[in-house]
Amino acid sequence: MSGNKHQYAFFLGCIAPNRYPGCEAAAIRTSAKVGIELLPLKGASCCPAPGAFGSIDLNVWYAMAARNVVLAEQMNMDITLICNGCYKSIWEVNHILKHNDELRDGVNEVLKEIDMEFKGTIDVWHLAELYYDPAICGVDKIRASVTRPLTGTKIAVHYGCHLMKPKKERHFGDTENPMWVDELVEALGAEAVQYRNKMQCCGAGGGVRGFDIVHSLDITNEKLINVKEVGADAITEVCPFCQLEYDRGQIEIAEKFGIKYGLPVLHFNELLGLAQGMSPQELALDLHAIDCKPFLEKIL
Amino acid sequence: MAREKNYGNPQLENKLRDRYYYVDDTKPEFLANVEKIGRTIAHMCYQCGTCTGSCPSAPRSSYRIRLFVRRAVLGLEEEALTDPDLWLCTTCYSCTDRCPRDIAPTDIIMAMRNLAFKWDIIPRNFLQTVQLIYKSGHGVPNNDVNRAARERLGLPRDPPTTHAYPEFIPGIQKILDHYKLKENADRMLAEEGK
Amino acid sequence: MAEKKEARIGVFLCHCGTNIAGSINIKEVQDYARTLPGVVVSDEYQYMCSTPGQGKIVDAIKEHNLTGIVVAACSPRLHEPTFRVASKVGGINPFRFEMANIREQNSWVHMHDKEGATAKAKDAVRIAVAKASLLEDLFPKSVPVEKAAIVVGAGVAGIQASLDLANAGIPTYLVEKTPTIGGRMSQLDKTFPTLDCSQCILTPKMVDVGRNENIILKTYTEVEKVEGYIGNFEITLRKKARGVMTPEEAEAKGIVGGGCNGCGDCSGVCPVIKGNEFEFAMAPRKAIFIHHPQVVPNIYTVDFESCIKCGLCVEACGDKKAIDLEMEDSFEKIKVGTAILATGYELFPIEKKAEWGYNRFENVITGLEFERLICASGPTGGHLVRPSDGQTPKKVGFVLCAGSRDNTGIGKPYCSRFCCMYSLKHAHQIIEKIPGVKAYLFYMDIRSFGKMYEEFYYRIQDEGAKFIRGRVANILEDPKSRNLMVFAEDTLLQRPVNIELDLVVLASAVQPSPEADTVRKLFGVSKSADGWMLEAHPKLNPCGTTTAGVFLAGVCQGPKDIPDTVAQAEGAASAASIPIHVGKVELEPYFAQCMEEKCAGCGMCVNLCPYSALALVEKEGKKVMQVTEAKCKGCGTCGGFCPGGAIHMQHFTTPQIVAQIDAFLLGGEQ
Repeated sequence: MSGNKHQYAFFLGCIAPNRYPGCEAAAIRTSAKVGIELLPLKGASCCPAPGAFGSIDLNVWYAMAARNVVLAEQMNMDITLICNGCYKSIWEVNHILKHNDELRDGVNEVLKEIDMEFKGTIDVWHLAELYYDPAICGVDKIRASVTRPLTGTKIAVHYGCHLMKPKKERHFGDTENPMWVDELVEALGAEAVQYRNKMQCCGAGGGVRGFDIVHSLDITNEKLINVKEVGADAITEVCPFCQLEYDRGQIEIAEKFGIKYGLPVLHFNELLGLAQGMSPQELALDLHAIDCKPFLEKIL
Repeated sequence: MAREKNYGNPQLENKLRDRYYYVDDTKPEFLANVEKIGRTIAHMCYQCGTCTGSCPSAPRSSYRIRLFVRRAVLGLEEEALTDPDLWLCTTCYSCTDRCPRDIAPTDIIMAMRNLAFKWDIIPRNFLQTVQLIYKSGHGVPNNDVNRAARERLGLPRDPPTTHAYPEFIPGIQKILDHYKLKENADRMLAEEGK
Repeated sequence: MAEKKEARIGVFLCHCGTNIAGSINIKEVQDYARTLPGVVVSDEYQYMCSTPGQGKIVDAIKEHNLTGIVVAACSPRLHEPTFRVASKVGGINPFRFEMANIREQNSWVHMHDKEGATAKAKDAVRIAVAKASLLEDLFPKSVPVEKAAIVVGAGVAGIQASLDLANAGIPTYLVEKTPTIGGRMSQLDKTFPTLDCSQCILTPKMVDVGRNENIILKTYTEVEKVEGYIGNFEITLRKKARGVMTPEEAEAKGIVGGGCNGCGDCSGVCPVIKGNEFEFAMAPRKAIFIHHPQVVPNIYTVDFESCIKCGLCVEACGDKKAIDLEMEDSFEKIKVGTAILATGYELFPIEKKAEWGYNRFENVITGLEFERLICASGPTGGHLVRPSDGQTPKKVGFVLCAGSRDNTGIGKPYCSRFCCMYSLKHAHQIIEKIPGVKAYLFYMDIRSFGKMYEEFYYRIQDEGAKFIRGRVANILEDPKSRNLMVFAEDTLLQRPVNIELDLVVLASAVQPSPEADTVRKLFGVSKSADGWMLEAHPKLNPCGTTTAGVFLAGVCQGPKDIPDTVAQAEGAASAASIPIHVGKVELEPYFAQCMEEKCAGCGMCVNLCPYSALALVEKEGKKVMQVTEAKCKGCGTCGGFCPGGAIHMQHFTTPQIVAQIDAFLLGGEQ
């Protein structure tokens, strides 16, 4: 953050800009309405994917993520982002390198080859936590920004894993039954429904989606059963990778297991965009694998 | 019991193979490496099973994270690194959040995967991600359908990442080359192809 | 100060088997000691604390006409008294003995650095010799001991300790913060492994307390202030406003034949309903109440936080005039010789381990709640029911190590020591009471170490309890049935388990009572890293504390079951009675002394003294400081501060300390 204005370097990652561009568009427009300005982080790359890169060589993961952090250091600006996977890479590497001299020195040795240095001068935030933080935005401001309340809809919140866990290294508190994203969703006028095993993983992470797709989808399917059980109209999340797993995953589940759910999956920013009056076209909801129409019909 | 039986019959040899655990099976450096890479205290595990009980992969596979921690403690390197279950961890960190001994089992798995990579054991799709990032900076790169959609939304056809600023890609390549990652990925995928 | 004789020092090095000799070159240190100024003899022995070892000291004093003794061995906390006696037997003042710790502070921590450890031992010996050369004859002071004791906390530990003290003829104040004695044990249904009814074995003792002439029972009372020292503690008690007078109190106020007789008419008319703490709010009480029918004393109490002062109770009480709704806290000062702390425990707030859903899922309860629910005098008359729907549970899970053996910083790192056994007992109780019930115990280890405990484990297993060797990972609730899904790994089967249960009992960890820390500080007792009160020595002085005259009993010192608690209470009572029976105690003569010719009478030291041991007095027309030696602990605060250097700290004089520093810094070069 620079000065009194809430300005952040917007780290895009891969899946949001390259698969669900509506998430990116929504983030820029919804945040502007609550006084947060997102500036492009030019030359950023993949975070890189913590499952794949972390599994191969954590040192590469540290260095690659550090390069992205340094780009923001050069702008003298905190980073915000909209993906849990990106949060794990960017927030966690920033945190580790700030506190671990040995790893920081190792990373800087490599960055030196490209005339960069990790200095540890900025912080990293998920846009959802900025929305929740009353010092930046807060639930009330979100509620006040709503022009088309999502009244009458039941929404199941999926928190995902890499934003809040491992809790000891994070700052979100309880990871067994968190409610803060539910509060944000209720501020949009929707009912945030509680379902069994809310904190279970979507199944995509750790490279499992690529390594063993049916194993991954079996986990996703369990979540979908639990969400369906309480009659949710849609799932919302704060991670485009979870979104991909639930959205495209439903097509794959239909193909591989023969079960159809037709459950719309929307990133919280897309949901907020709708509540602030953005049209489905402005959010490119047509790019979603699962038709959002049944949900949209309830609110439009 | 003799560890080598020399019965001259592979089927019998396998059926009756020595199942004892011998202390010299232990490679203490395996535990040390896992703890260093994973930045956690694997040796403090008291085998309560909270990790497996928390694991979304356990009920649908033979993957038992507690067993991997045990292998770390006992230094059973080969048994750990060659077990394909190693790749079933979704890194959800539920085990880490609940471990009463304040160990990070997830990071033990990550460390073992790093060590497995040194043995050329790695799912092939991970290597493809490396190649994609080397080329474009993105693990999931842009495509034409998406470019059209971006345009419709009033966004630039290519995001302001390495896609719009390809001059940043050589820097990324230098980092990956420093660790010989691309070279190794290419080699392993080529060997696969043969 | 006496005129100094030329110092003649004897140095004695202890091998302590290989404890010291394994890491320190004794011979080298012995030879080195001979070269030190003032040293006339340097000797060594396998075990200096043994009779022959002490004999060496005695003989050397006589043979070499020694003026000071240095023993380089273990911690003075262990054997300083031993060698002082030896010095005395040898014929010199015991305070001319100085100890160099070359074990705890040397050989044990430098086990793999013999060279370094040997060099450090030389330093320690040189420093000790420097001090020993300047030691003076000192004479302990003996003070009379008040023939009375205080016991703080009236659970089974405090009750037992009080009864023992009282039966040994010592007037004993038994102080309890709640309105009744009995503590945790009175909340339990049955006790392991004998299965006798907890109240049945406790109430006779409670009644004995009420009857014993030597016990002055102070319920609904807290310790406000502690002054003094062993033998002469002056303690201020705060008698909290109970709103109800005992017959004695009523009589003192001239109300003849009045005071509370426990009839309960007041409670019958009271319109205010609150949760009964004794039943963990699973049953109601009124604003004027007793916690349960067996309270001692059988006197009602007004909870002024919820009382609306409608006066109905006063009316119902009638001529007994026992109720005074305007009552205020009152204070009383008592004098005692010794004190026993028995402040007990409470359950760790297990909702902090959110994965088990306590407070979120109604059918997840704690072990103590289970005790009330299974107890015939409890809120359900002993019929165990599910809180959500009042149904009898058919499948019950017991989660052991719930918050114990937890290194996350949320739970407790220690073993709570009685949960394994009470969980076994719980399993037995439901199997006995509910036909066809299934009991699942999720455990990591069953710690059945006490007498007849393993046999009890065998019995419960034989009765059909199921044991799953795995710690519970998390619990989920079926929102419709309110049943609980318990997730764990059966580590022996190596499979994850998902067991649907009607009721889950968390064997929650225990932690010190909330007020224990206040009491602890008032009595100057330390606490160990785990938060419990610190005993003087974990093995050899488990009832004592580092504050002379203050002793510990029961769980306040660390988790323990009833047999261990009662045993420690009896030990503490015995220890606390010794000074009282002896009638006097010797105080170490480490007093501050005022050198009146240098004292300017500024009085700064008087305000600084943490023990109120100093005062300004008029002497020969000028103000000087005077020390009450019995109160002085020799802490040195005054001596360190005195701007005129007028305070002489016996046994820690400035020349002695300077000599020690010089000896260290100058490496023996004087």
